[in-house]
Amino acid sequence: MLIWLFFRPNQAFEVLSNTSPTANAVFFKLVIWLAAIPPVLAYIGGSKFGWRLGAAEPLYLAQDVLLKISIAYFAALLFGFVSTAIIAKWMASTYGARLSLGIHYAVVTIVAAPLVIGSIIHLYPDMFINVLVLVPALIWSMFLLYKGLPIVLRISPERGMLMASSMIGYLLVAFVCLLGVMVVLWGRGFGPAVGI
Amino acid sequence: MSGLGLHKKLEEHTGLLIFGILFVSSIGGLVQVLPSLFQESLQTATENTTVYSPLELMGRDIYVREGCSVCHSQQIRPLLAEVERYGPYSRAGEFVYDRPFLWGSKRTGPDLHRIGGKYSDEWHRLHMINPRDVVPRSIMPAYPWLAEREANGSGDIDKRLSALRKLGHPYSDEDIANAGAALEGKTELDAVVAYLQKLGTAYGHGDTP
Amino acid sequence: MVSEENTTTEYYHDRVVTTLVMCSIAWAVAAMAVGVYVAAELVWPSLDFGQPWLSFGRLRPLHTNGIVFGFGVSALMGTAFYSVQRTCHIPLFLPKLAWFTAIAWQLGVLLGGLSLLAGMNAGKEYAELEWPFDIAIAVVWVCFAIVFFGTIARRRIKPIYVSNWFYGGLIIVIAMLHIGNSLAIPVTLFKSYTLFAGAQDAILQWWYGHNAVGFLLTGGFLGMMYYFLPKQAERPIWSYRLSIVAFWAFTYSYIWAGPHHLHFNAIPDWVQSLGMVMSLILLAPSWATMINGIMTVSSAWEKLRTDPALKFIVLSLAFYGLATFEGPMMAIKSVNIVSHFTDWTIGHVHSGALGWNALITFGTFYFLVPRLVGKELHSVKLANIHFWLALAGTMLYVLAMWGAGVSQGLLWLSLDEIGELRYSFRDIMASMPPYYLLRLFAGLIFLGGTVLMAFNLFKTIAGAKTVQVRPPAVHGAGASL
Repeated sequence: MLIWLFFRPNQAFEVLSNTSPTANAVFFKLVIWLAAIPPVLAYIGGSKFGWRLGAAEPLYLAQDVLLKISIAYFAALLFGFVSTAIIAKWMASTYGARLSLGIHYAVVTIVAAPLVIGSIIHLYPDMFINVLVLVPALIWSMFLLYKGLPIVLRISPERGMLMASSMIGYLLVAFVCLLGVMVVLWGRGFGPAVGI
Repeated sequence: MSGLGLHKKLEEHTGLLIFGILFVSSIGGLVQVLPSLFQESLQTATENTTVYSPLELMGRDIYVREGCSVCHSQQIRPLLAEVERYGPYSRAGEFVYDRPFLWGSKRTGPDLHRIGGKYSDEWHRLHMINPRDVVPRSIMPAYPWLAEREANGSGDIDKRLSALRKLGHPYSDEDIANAGAALEGKTELDAVVAYLQKLGTAYGHGDTP
Repeated sequence: MVSEENTTTEYYHDRVVTTLVMCSIAWAVAAMAVGVYVAAELVWPSLDFGQPWLSFGRLRPLHTNGIVFGFGVSALMGTAFYSVQRTCHIPLFLPKLAWFTAIAWQLGVLLGGLSLLAGMNAGKEYAELEWPFDIAIAVVWVCFAIVFFGTIARRRIKPIYVSNWFYGGLIIVIAMLHIGNSLAIPVTLFKSYTLFAGAQDAILQWWYGHNAVGFLLTGGFLGMMYYFLPKQAERPIWSYRLSIVAFWAFTYSYIWAGPHHLHFNAIPDWVQSLGMVMSLILLAPSWATMINGIMTVSSAWEKLRTDPALKFIVLSLAFYGLATFEGPMMAIKSVNIVSHFTDWTIGHVHSGALGWNALITFGTFYFLVPRLVGKELHSVKLANIHFWLALAGTMLYVLAMWGAGVSQGLLWLSLDEIGELRYSFRDIMASMPPYYLLRLFAGLIFLGGTVLMAFNLFKTIAGAKTVQVRPPAVHGAGASL
């Protein structure tokens, strides 16, 4: 399935649209494990190589701080998976799409797959290199969203286009919200020291 | 519904609509902005804040002309890290002679509010002519033309002081008369450096943060 | 005023609209090209070749003024003139004055831009043009108001349609803000000093600056949305009541939000807090309007197949939602501590300017231009390619700036184990180029899309004349627009 996502996305989506997974099955068998990959890789990379943010010396944070950050990252990803699937289901009736929560989880998981694969670069936490790898992964994910949504949810391409654009709207808002939450929590002391 | 009925009136009369928009949009300004324009504490200088000399003023006007505020702020916030990095935080009373205010919206380069006295004149000269000579990875543009232009090239420094005096800056007749002479033989670069060396000198680094 | 008569030689004045649209497109390409150039200068500073007029500090206001006053206002004037005629069933009041407004405005922006390159700079953001231009702007703006409100006063349909309230708000409030913030004492023809100084000038500036965004970039373009979206979707606006509540809540709340540009700056705390609270309240009318737009379009999805214009408008509403959520969020003091002075602000500006303003204008132009000249769009394929380029460019831009901004903000505040600053400013600065490169790339993509549009639309207009359209003969209050 994963290989198909790169070379034959249409076929991957056709196969998926013929399944009827349950929400719990997708969540516990796939989502939890996939969401764990980036934080684990980030923890390993952060411990071994230190965060490289450009010209300054690599930053080696204490193990417990790295652990806290990885757990928070995992929580954020889970929130992302779950909320996106729920929002998609909420929008589904407006766009005439399938309503099972399970299929929405499946779509979100498939669409997010390139980013999970791309997160292998967290093993070397250099900011620039991570950006270089994850941005194309993101572009591929967005392509999968626009292409796959109508196929898997069995709606016309035009409705799929509308729904996908609405999903992008939600994703952007959710992401910036997470940025805001992170920044506020960091300012309150949950993270490396800042002088506020 | 009477609300909808009221709105029907607004929707059907051009004049009422115009008035309605004007009225509703003025309220914020009247409550928030107008009182501040008359608030004494915002227009009273702090103890060591003095007016800009002719050379410093010309330097400031050149700073405005070249768009320096687009990359450099002049506003140190009362935050621990900021005070540690830049010095005592900025007080309103230090800006009473700043027309226009230059607090800035962006720090592509560092904040400059307390740059006065931190670097030598010579450092500033080298930096302005080519920033990368003193800060290797700098992305600041170079300003070589400042060294080639006369400070009073536009010939209107006395008019500038006059205008500012009308606005309440304490310049004497003598100051205005001697303004041109004060800029004699100086370049625009001299003026900018003089301005930078004045910035933030109302509070020293030993003073309360 | 219900009237049955309609002289047989009466036509809408649409040639001025076509002219304004063409000017707007030209400004879009030019000002975005300047934007790409300054983005490149932030990576390679020697791109100014030692010339004052190519220096970043002088080019940046050229970019912002070109976009807001060149691209933005021309689009708003053109669409306002087009839609006010059709929502009132009457040709423009004083058409010669409308032409004067359009042409004088273009001259003003052009000469103003040149003046910025020459170093005439009043030093206040989005109000950099010096006092002679301030006066000229006021004069031309009054002419705009006369034409617009004059047309409404002479309308043949009783109720004033909602898009006109927003355009009206644009005209009235911008006039008020411009006059207030331009108060200055001239020294010479090229230089003036502001009436107020320091903290007072700051409060005044951001009363103006924030509401230039509010009533020009948001309100005016909402006027565009309220007319053109129902037209394209061939459906009425989803909720009339919502549009009323949202309009007045919006007009009232926006004005108060200015001080969120001055959090932790040397202004009174109560002013800052009020600015923050009102910014948060502003989220409600903004999203209400977005929902109104999206619900209108979601019943017209089958049109997306043949209509690239509608795609742009749908996506613009998504970015409108993002920008109007992000703004209030950044206005929260705890977030602002990290975001102020960073590239996050730039990212926010461009999610609005590219994602909302540019996209909805592009969608409107793709819809409007074929109708203005009575020809089909030259190439639907190019328009679809443009859509993807615009989406990619906007997203990459925003992501690059979020990355740069959040890391700048947190790194500037970062302390080490003994409570000292962990990083020097220089080190943090030196880690920005990768983000700036990504942003440059994003800008190039977006500019590329805009150039495709310019080619497509000019090809559509080439050789054709503006179609002459007659106002309808019957004008009930419920007559179709």
